[in-house]
Amino acid sequence: MTVIDVTDLRKGYAGRTVLDGVSFSVEAGEIFGILGPNGAGKTTTVECVEGLRRPDGGSVRVLGLDPFTDGRALREQVGVQLQHTQLPENIKVWEALDLYASFYARPRDWRGLLEEWGLADKRDARFGKLSGGQRQRLFIALALVGDPRVAFLDELTTGLDPQARRVTWELVKRIRDNGVTVVLVSHFMDEVEELCDRVAVLDQGRVVALDTPAGLVGGEQRMRFTLMAGDSVPGLDGLPGVTGVTRTGDRVVVTGRGDFAPAVTAHLARHRVTVSDLRIDRRTLDDAFAALTGRSFTN
Amino acid sequence: MTKLAVVEFKLLVREPGAVFSLLIPLFILVVFGSSIQPGDTVLLPIALAIAVGLVGLYMLPTTLATYRERGILRRMSTTPARPVNLLVVQVLLQLVLALAACGLLLAVAGAVLGAHLPTRVLPGVLTFLLGTAAMFAIGLLIAALAPNGRSANGIGVLLYFPLAYLAGLMQPPSQMPAIVAAVGEYTPMGAFRLSMQDVWAGGVPDPLPLGVMAAYALVVSVAAARFFRWE
Repeated sequence: MTVIDVTDLRKGYAGRTVLDGVSFSVEAGEIFGILGPNGAGKTTTVECVEGLRRPDGGSVRVLGLDPFTDGRALREQVGVQLQHTQLPENIKVWEALDLYASFYARPRDWRGLLEEWGLADKRDARFGKLSGGQRQRLFIALALVGDPRVAFLDELTTGLDPQARRVTWELVKRIRDNGVTVVLVSHFMDEVEELCDRVAVLDQGRVVALDTPAGLVGGEQRMRFTLMAGDSVPGLDGLPGVTGVTRTGDRVVVTGRGDFAPAVTAHLARHRVTVSDLRIDRRTLDDAFAALTGRSFTN
Repeated sequence: MTKLAVVEFKLLVREPGAVFSLLIPLFILVVFGSSIQPGDTVLLPIALAIAVGLVGLYMLPTTLATYRERGILRRMSTTPARPVNLLVVQVLLQLVLALAACGLLLAVAGAVLGAHLPTRVLPGVLTFLLGTAAMFAIGLLIAALAPNGRSANGIGVLLYFPLAYLAGLMQPPSQMPAIVAAVGEYTPMGAFRLSMQDVWAGGVPDPLPLGVMAAYALVVSVAAARFFRWE
């Protein structure tokens, strides 16, 4: 089932084009990534989808509703975590959850969310006293308190330390496992690779690619190793997925697609060949972005 | 809406600025009130003007501009609740704060200092409402124009002192240059002080200062609504 359908979305500010015909659709139950460098139009895209901004052109449907004309009905069913949003310094964690729960017709029990998001011992702490990771967990809990069918998470882990990012990633997977469709906006390649089922790559207001992370990385991978002097390995080029074998002295480079690497190592073992310096050069989303846009992806 | 009001009330109570707007006018009243004459009609109107001015020019704009700066209004607009509710609740709560500050002044002045209190209630209530509306309108305009909470605070303080001076709250108008004193009668706090003095003298307030306050309330709040930004 299609949850979000965006067609030819256009938006400009003061004569500057920010979105230049963005189209994508999000299916129920997936974590859909919107990836791109700063200024690519990611936040503007989700703001149009959330109904915070009116597009200049194109159409947006979320759960079959128009974010502008059916805004209120839609907002009952979506949860949002916005970039650069704060709460009042002196509001307590439970008060914020209790308050946001009161905005929805059928909210979740916020006490359960406190437990679920590891905030139970911070129940009476004021927002101003929370750490970055705790604030982020509170924002996610607030986005979920209305029991949404779709959650929008914008630059969720910016400013978090590596460990807090890992923890947050696990939590995002849990949201999806609970049946909520997640739209994740990020400028972190590793985050998108780790979490997303599919990714729309935005650059200069256009979708330059839309695929699974593996599909985007796609293409050929290279496996290199060094043979013991005088050894030889016949039959490597006949293995499934292998597209080429070159040997320079004792150095061997095998190129291939998909899961060719295990086949190669199994083949080596079968022939009782010992190799050293085994390396697999995996293409990353960074490489894919550079290939798509001709520019490097700089955070 | 009820829950929003309860939470915002708690936040207001936790705000040090709210305590200051209660205590500063009270402090002035007590310091100058120790030598108050039984029939005095000047000091309490001044203290009331200071109290309402602090809430309207300082508390209200700072709170609202901070809410916008922190994205709280924007965050709320992604929920089924409407962010305009937050503005309404804030204005009502600040009105309660202004009422509390004035009530505290009257109670202390009447019970402790033995000051004269007006017997007719209606003219006092009318003056309070018009004056509060005028000063809240200015506060709303500051909130609309200020880019963030800190600058709203700065603009509020910057406006407060010249307006308080013009209104004759810092120096008796009789000792001010005549032209300055005359201009002062057309400022919101000056008109408020004049009307309150009429109330304290036991008469019906002059329509001119009442009209001045009503005009500020109307014109400035329309401007505030025109310039207000949600984000």
